[in-house]
Amino acid sequence: MASPIPLRSRLRRYGTSYAMLLPFLALFAGFLIWPLANSLYLSFTTFDGINPAAFVGLDNFRQLAEDDRFRHALGNTGLYVVGSVVIGTLLSLGLALAFNGTGWAHRIMRTVFFLPSVTSSIALMLMWKWVLFPSDVGLANTIMHWFGGKDVAWLATPGLAIPILVMMSVWGGMGYGMVLYVAGLGAIPQEYYEAARIDGASTWAQFRHITLPLLRPVTTYVVVTGLIGAFQVFEAVYIVFQTGANNVGGVLDSGLMIVPYLYDQGFTHFKLGYASAIAWVLFLIIFVLSLVNLRAGRAMKEL
Amino acid sequence: MRRTMAACTTLLVAALSAACATSGQTQTKQADQNAPATLSFWSTGGDDETATFQKAADLYHQKHPNVTIKVQTLSWSDAYAKLLAAATSRSGPDIISGGMTWTIQFGARGAMVDLRKHGSDALKAQALPAQWESAVSPDGSVYGVPLDMSTMALYYRTDLLEKAKVEPPKTWEELTAAIDKLKAAGVKKPYSQDWGNLDWIGYFNYLYQAGGSFYTPDCKPSLDTPQAEQALTAWADLYRKHGAPTATVEGSDALDTGTAMVVAGNWIAKGIDINKPKLKGKWGMTTMPAGPAGPTTFIGGRAVGVTSFSKYVKTAADFVTFMYTDEAIAAITDEARKRNISYIPPRPDKIVNGSVFTPEQAKVFEASIRTGKAAPGCPGWDESASDVAKQLQSVILGKSDVKTALAEAAKVMQRNAG
Repeated sequence: MASPIPLRSRLRRYGTSYAMLLPFLALFAGFLIWPLANSLYLSFTTFDGINPAAFVGLDNFRQLAEDDRFRHALGNTGLYVVGSVVIGTLLSLGLALAFNGTGWAHRIMRTVFFLPSVTSSIALMLMWKWVLFPSDVGLANTIMHWFGGKDVAWLATPGLAIPILVMMSVWGGMGYGMVLYVAGLGAIPQEYYEAARIDGASTWAQFRHITLPLLRPVTTYVVVTGLIGAFQVFEAVYIVFQTGANNVGGVLDSGLMIVPYLYDQGFTHFKLGYASAIAWVLFLIIFVLSLVNLRAGRAMKEL
Repeated sequence: MRRTMAACTTLLVAALSAACATSGQTQTKQADQNAPATLSFWSTGGDDETATFQKAADLYHQKHPNVTIKVQTLSWSDAYAKLLAAATSRSGPDIISGGMTWTIQFGARGAMVDLRKHGSDALKAQALPAQWESAVSPDGSVYGVPLDMSTMALYYRTDLLEKAKVEPPKTWEELTAAIDKLKAAGVKKPYSQDWGNLDWIGYFNYLYQAGGSFYTPDCKPSLDTPQAEQALTAWADLYRKHGAPTATVEGSDALDTGTAMVVAGNWIAKGIDINKPKLKGKWGMTTMPAGPAGPTTFIGGRAVGVTSFSKYVKTAADFVTFMYTDEAIAAITDEARKRNISYIPPRPDKIVNGSVFTPEQAKVFEASIRTGKAAPGCPGWDESASDVAKQLQSVILGKSDVKTALAEAAKVMQRNAG
């Protein structure tokens, strides 16, 4: 075992590097670690934003376990995550396979599908709100009328809330996944396909046994980032489904998700301690699921 | 493993330091009240409304040259969070305005000044008792006073009502009969609700018009009454039997797209002729149809109060009092008229006199306000409102029956009452 380098010589050797890292570290500590630590502490208190925080141990977490609205938000979020990640990933891959060429047509199509990813999400959500507006004021209902259909209360029908949220998420996110998959497809050596063709493998067999396995790192990345993003959905619910100060999750809480619920509790009900507890539960859920996903990706690679 | 341990330890140490760093509130030191002062007034609403209140502030400056008050706009969507951030950091505005119960919520947590120590009693005598009650905290503290009033009316398309030979309805029965006649005459959208659609505010009118209330005078939930059941049945039937849409369309848009009758807030009255020129001469308005116990209509509005972290509490409170004077109300009304926006002053004697509305419109609003009631000021109502709304929605959408939903709503109100 090598003996540790004395502090003084280590400083002499790396001192400049450490000094150059300091501004970043200061910002990182001040704007990430410190607020994070604060929220961890606050999750054990009844902090209301104004008065000094009173320590209550695990009370907030116990209350969470019995909170029907939180459970409802958790269930909605679970459905939304599964829907948006599965459909989003499949469509991203489909688009990448369809438009991974270098010709102009493919480039234009890629740009078109990528556009929502570079547009402000607030602008996109306001657009969706306008599309889904009730009566013939909204685009969706106007189109329904053209084809002889009846008005649909898009945002006031509980059964439509999650499908609409999934659709908005998939529409906005599949272009980003497509770009990652296109890069992944470009990195697969063509020799594999040539060898497969010589061996008489069908297109499906080539896709199944060459493309998919070699895209696994990209898939893992797309799924993990999609998962994290989907769990943290906020703007879509807050902008499109909020119908009043009291109605953060839409009709019958049909669109209530974890982060909008957290915001509602923290910033309209002064329960910042409780909201912090929700944030930490959300963190743990995402952490565990991402870990499982990464491990699964690694295990499959080893097979 | 060592890295994970190090990360966890760092976070834990930081969390412990955060715990130690949390400090208590300190009394804000008051500035010299005679020295020149610039006060900040955060007004929730639109820029046009800010400009109207700025006129009152300018007038105050003329009378007190040492005092300048700058009015800034907070949009309804993020005002509450911004006010909370200001209260947490104990810095920002000297005066705030927002929803009727906001000042109570902030006041209960020590962020507002009790205006009783600064002459709010004089304002109480001038304000509408029903609205004043909803601005007063359950313990009697006055952290905010009404800044303006809002109410609702039944707006209707005169051409469509004439087509169906229907008079503007005056009672619940006349309303449902009118809906049926309009349908029979081929009007596809006879009735809709804008303000209060699928929400407790929509039910509020029916509840009080049936003779019920959310709470008893001593703040016990009172939704287990025959009146509450009758009201919810009648209100939910508008959706279930008479086809009122569950999706909310803004009042003037609804009229413009062929809805014959719409329940909407007073603020749409000023804009219909300008924003929807096609509707000019084709619409009218009347008070809400009355129930078995009368025509009680919801009264909302904004409250204005002084923050406890202001360095100019006395001056700020004096300005709040000044906003009730004839001249301040006249200045605000003039500017509102110029900008073509709605403004109903907090003084009932000023609703018709010099109103921004036409005399006919002002009379409708005055009639609504005279018999109106405001949101319950009982402990726990704010926390309960969204859950109560969900129970009401469950009846409208056929997921629950009237009795069960009201019992569930009462249970939530009881729990939150503490």
